[in-house]
Amino acid sequence: MSHPDSPHSSEKAMDIVNNVKSSSHRIRNSIATIFGIGALAGCATNAPQDTWQPKGDNAQIINNLQWIVFPMAGVVGVLVFALAAYTFWKFNDRGQPIPSQSHGKPVVEIILTIIPALILTVVGVFTFRGIFELAETKDTEMIINVTGQQWWWEYDYPAQDDQGITQPIISSGQLVIPVGTKVLLRETSRDVIHSYWIPALNGKKDAVPGRINLLRLQADKPGLFAGQCTEFCGLSHANMRMEAIALSKEDFAKWVSNQQKAYTAPADGTLAKEGEGVFLNQCIRCHQVNGLKKVDGTPAIAAPDENVYSGAAPNLSHLMSRNTFAGAKFDLLNKKCRSDVWDASSETIGAKYLSGVSEPCLNATALRAWLRNAPAMKPMYADPAKLEISGGKYRGMPNLGLNETDIDKLVAYLLTLK
Amino acid sequence: MITPGSKYFFGLTGLSLIAAILYLVLVNPTDLGAVALFGLATSGALIGVMASFTRDGDVYTDEEAVAANAVAGPPSFWPIVFALGAALVLTGLATVSVVFILGIAVLIGGGVEWAIQNWADGASSDREFNEFARARAISAIEYPGLAAVGLGVIAFFFSRVVLAVSKEAGPIIFMVVAGAIFVIGVLIASKPFMKGAVTVVLAVLAVIALAGAGTFAALSGERHELAVAAEEDYYDASHRECGEEESEHYDHLANSSVSLRSAVTATIFVKDGKVYAEAIGMTKKVDTITIPRSNATSVMFRNLDEEKHRLVVNLGSAKVAETGVSEKVGTCTQLTGKNQEQVMTLKIPKPATEAEPYSFTVPGATGEIKLVVP
Repeated sequence: MSHPDSPHSSEKAMDIVNNVKSSSHRIRNSIATIFGIGALAGCATNAPQDTWQPKGDNAQIINNLQWIVFPMAGVVGVLVFALAAYTFWKFNDRGQPIPSQSHGKPVVEIILTIIPALILTVVGVFTFRGIFELAETKDTEMIINVTGQQWWWEYDYPAQDDQGITQPIISSGQLVIPVGTKVLLRETSRDVIHSYWIPALNGKKDAVPGRINLLRLQADKPGLFAGQCTEFCGLSHANMRMEAIALSKEDFAKWVSNQQKAYTAPADGTLAKEGEGVFLNQCIRCHQVNGLKKVDGTPAIAAPDENVYSGAAPNLSHLMSRNTFAGAKFDLLNKKCRSDVWDASSETIGAKYLSGVSEPCLNATALRAWLRNAPAMKPMYADPAKLEISGGKYRGMPNLGLNETDIDKLVAYLLTLK
Repeated sequence: MITPGSKYFFGLTGLSLIAAILYLVLVNPTDLGAVALFGLATSGALIGVMASFTRDGDVYTDEEAVAANAVAGPPSFWPIVFALGAALVLTGLATVSVVFILGIAVLIGGGVEWAIQNWADGASSDREFNEFARARAISAIEYPGLAAVGLGVIAFFFSRVVLAVSKEAGPIIFMVVAGAIFVIGVLIASKPFMKGAVTVVLAVLAVIALAGAGTFAALSGERHELAVAAEEDYYDASHRECGEEESEHYDHLANSSVSLRSAVTATIFVKDGKVYAEAIGMTKKVDTITIPRSNATSVMFRNLDEEKHRLVVNLGSAKVAETGVSEKVGTCTQLTGKNQEQVMTLKIPKPATEAEPYSFTVPGATGEIKLVVP
């Protein structure tokens, strides 16, 4: 128990005063830093995941709502802070006598109940309207199954004659949609909970194992929109990216047509043909290439369920029609060609995207590094010595121990998957 | 001042540091274990400093503590509870895990109570104040803990009753009991000056009645169809054969739980002897259902015909490891009556081959739904 009348009490009091001064300096600096960071972040011009720049109907609904809620919340917040600050300053303990106490004022209490209730009612009306609008699926024009797993997204397009999709399409990393079309994503997960979020097109929606959650996207104009998994899902959660590419309906039809093209084996005697052999020896254990046949002519069917915890690995059919790999973490295009696509106008982006990845545009450094040692590029549970907990199965791609010659062959082969 | 409590943590810090250095040198310099040991050392040092700074959380000086402990505390039964917990843990290790878990719970509960009691007994030389201090420190844990135990007891005994009576009687009993609790609650609330003893007596009588009914129901056993279903292992998926049903007593709604019904990818119907399907989000009927590979996906089967039907999924064929003979692969739902539903959950690791495409069929009805696994 402290004793205020002890001989050291005045020294202690001075210490307390100094500590308070030092604390107030720290608080002031912290507040200045926080506001400074906020102000500087607000100045960013290249912010592809900015929630205040909607590029589609659904994102616009959210944007409209936040333009109602944020100003109201801002005014209330400023008022509360100002009143609290005034109260702290005005009634600071300066040794004055305690004022007379009374048991509330009914008029004030009623007003202070009614005003928040009215504010919440207004916010509630707009919020519920927004929720119901976002949940609308009856007028869906196109469906895409979206399956999350550590740490990439799979997109499969069921056959839909209306959209020219006569046989299922499967892809990963980049979601391709036609503009002005109400697209319904049917989300689920193969392992843990993930969350799909492309801020320019809609809000977040969790992908939960065993459940199918619906999320509608619609893009107004052709463009490339970035996103990010927003539910912590393990070691490489931060590297679980996604991109949506909206193409004009004509360009989308071309994309569909290309995705439905049958597999073409590389010509005999080429480096790519040797790469196909390496693929059949190594990669086919997990990665499917539709139409690829084994040496004996039977279909080469991947068995990721035997090797990967989630039971799936990206289907690499038409890999070079995408711009990214490894869960959209790395670019298949080199810096110049990537900028060409990302900076393209809405009129030209379709043609540029559809040109895919050519040899001069290939980001060979990243792709070769990935083939050389994938876990060194992206944190994954891929150390064979530590797989007991997952029943011997990898989470992500292991180091296959490929030599440089095999990597040359594989890169040549992968370049043919357009 | 180095207090007794802080000595422990400083000791922990020193030992952890030594262990971390030995680990780095002798085991693995890059392993996470060393990081954990350094973390333990840092935590120990931090807590040690805090314990030293706060005099082990004792607000009294040494002299005041001597005065506070001049009067011996009341006898405590918590050491006995703690010992009982230890006995249960040891018994559980040798017998069944439930006893072990119960022992752990008793051990933790008794230990916490004992520690708080001991702390409170030394708070002052005033027993009344000490009891107040104990209650203040422990009430926030005791009341929710007792409430959880109480709810568990109620749920256990009530569930025995509901499992023993017929399916129709269960909800009625539930409503009657809930109604009685509500009425009695209203009566008690309307009599604020009623003696507390009356409420206690009512509560004790209710617990005795529930425990009695639950014990009687548990001894009587579960109702006939549940007993038969359990005996025939009807809840095991492998029991769902595509042949004749072995029993009429299976639970027709076993696979129609709310969670499953709300997460089906498609629904397959039989109406007027024809098969058709609807998929989530698609406005038109579909003749193909696409499901992701290696992912548990549920499909609902709804029979709208008079006669019973079952849904069958055909998943090609595979060689049986023992015989090397190729056999058809597939599964099916149970026979489903008119307007009844069954959910089929599939997890298919590989796409179909061109020679043997996957499909859903309904024996006795025309048409099929293609199943695509990309």
